[in-house]
Amino acid sequence: MTQTIRVDQLLREAVQGPYCDLVTRSTGRAVRTSIQQRLASRPGSLALIDFSEVGLVDFSCADEVIAKLLLDPPTETIIVLQGLREEQLEAIEHVLEHHALAALVHDAASGAARMVGRVSPDLRTAFFTLQRTGPASVQALADRIGWAADRAEAALLALVRLRLARTGSEGFVVPLAPEPLSP
Amino acid sequence: MSRVVEVPASFDDRSFEQFAASFSAGPVTDRMVFDARPAQWASPFGLVGMLTAGQAIKEAGGARPDFTVPAADEVRRYWARTGFFQHAAEFFDLHGKVPRLKPDEQSDVLLDVTPVRASEDVHAVVGKLQAGAARILTHELGIDAKATMGFAMALSEACQNIVEHAGTGGWVAVHAYTFRRRLGRRVVVIAVSDAGVGFRRSLEVTQARRFGDRWGDGAALEAAVIQNVSRFRDPGRGQGIAGIKRYLGRWNGKLSIRSGTARIAIVPEWDDDVPMTEHLAPFPGAQLQIVIPAQESTGG
Repeated sequence: MTQTIRVDQLLREAVQGPYCDLVTRSTGRAVRTSIQQRLASRPGSLALIDFSEVGLVDFSCADEVIAKLLLDPPTETIIVLQGLREEQLEAIEHVLEHHALAALVHDAASGAARMVGRVSPDLRTAFFTLQRTGPASVQALADRIGWAADRAEAALLALVRLRLARTGSEGFVVPLAPEPLSP
Repeated sequence: MSRVVEVPASFDDRSFEQFAASFSAGPVTDRMVFDARPAQWASPFGLVGMLTAGQAIKEAGGARPDFTVPAADEVRRYWARTGFFQHAAEFFDLHGKVPRLKPDEQSDVLLDVTPVRASEDVHAVVGKLQAGAARILTHELGIDAKATMGFAMALSEACQNIVEHAGTGGWVAVHAYTFRRRLGRRVVVIAVSDAGVGFRRSLEVTQARRFGDRWGDGAALEAAVIQNVSRFRDPGRGQGIAGIKRYLGRWNGKLSIRSGTARIAIVPEWDDDVPMTEHLAPFPGAQLQIVIPAQESTGG
């Protein structure tokens, strides 16, 4: 099940004013707490955190909302950030780098998710391969890339730990993947 | 008898040292008169610095100081348009003719002198700046429209230092003007000042031991500005000043922070400031200034 959480609505509740900017740590804490409560009350496989009606995102607030949410997620839900503008994404990438974290961002043009933040080349390769070719077991992914199975397993488990992929009945899968390419 | 605190004729971050020396020449509880009659010009840094001095006297329980307003009519009018007198009346007995003017939306004052006491004030400041600053930032300074977000972000982080660390309220102002002497171009200047505990006291518990004998106002500024250290043990802290530096790097801007008896600066190539100055006259709290120059292609 997918749920969409509109950050602008939570922001208005948090600051009780007409502001649309995600600034200050106290605001960030309030918004993150609201997101965590939503995720806990409606657990699902995927949550789209929607920034499309948000104005400025400053570094402190990005740290409180995004970094701390990813460091301490309340459920197994995979989180995808959507509706981000370039300058908002810049602040978020800055804090992800600071914490050595990675996040998924919905790319409006392709409809797929992409990784931002600190991601190793192996994780990037594994993610792109799952995205392009569809769900896979450890061995299937290793075969597709030409890796040893233990290397593929390490990359896949890291993707799951970072909530960038999940395990399903078909194996490891990434969210918002387009139709896989034909072999 | 009152002690006279001289307000420099041209009051910017450099001449601020004259002001600080005059202010700290005796106890803060002295009866004082701030003499601004010779003033010809004040940067936002000077304006928020004077309010900080007044706030420090009030919070120390000192006698309410007198303040003689600038003799020049156009200077009085400019200071009135910045909102300075409106807030100064809270701390000083003003002497002289104070014009009653509303802030001029077409002026070079991007953000009039505004108090910052709580998180909601930061929201208001950021919203107000974004509503009015785009014209000056984009057309006069040649800063990409998208980058005005970065400017607002730097402003937000600068103001949050007051809310998070000062332990009392402070002030912010943002003006654009032509920086003839050092640059010969238009600049936009953010000035933020508070009368709070300052960087040394804020960081003392977590950092003093690490610096040992070197510990002081200069070391505290070095820890905060160069090493991005915060008094909080939360590993996510310290990113505000880091974010400001990142923005300034892109737009060839300058950051300077004065606290206690020291001043640190991240100096771009167009300026001849020094990175660290110590043993200055003591001044309450912390004063931060960000200068963004017009980009070369605009000619300013």
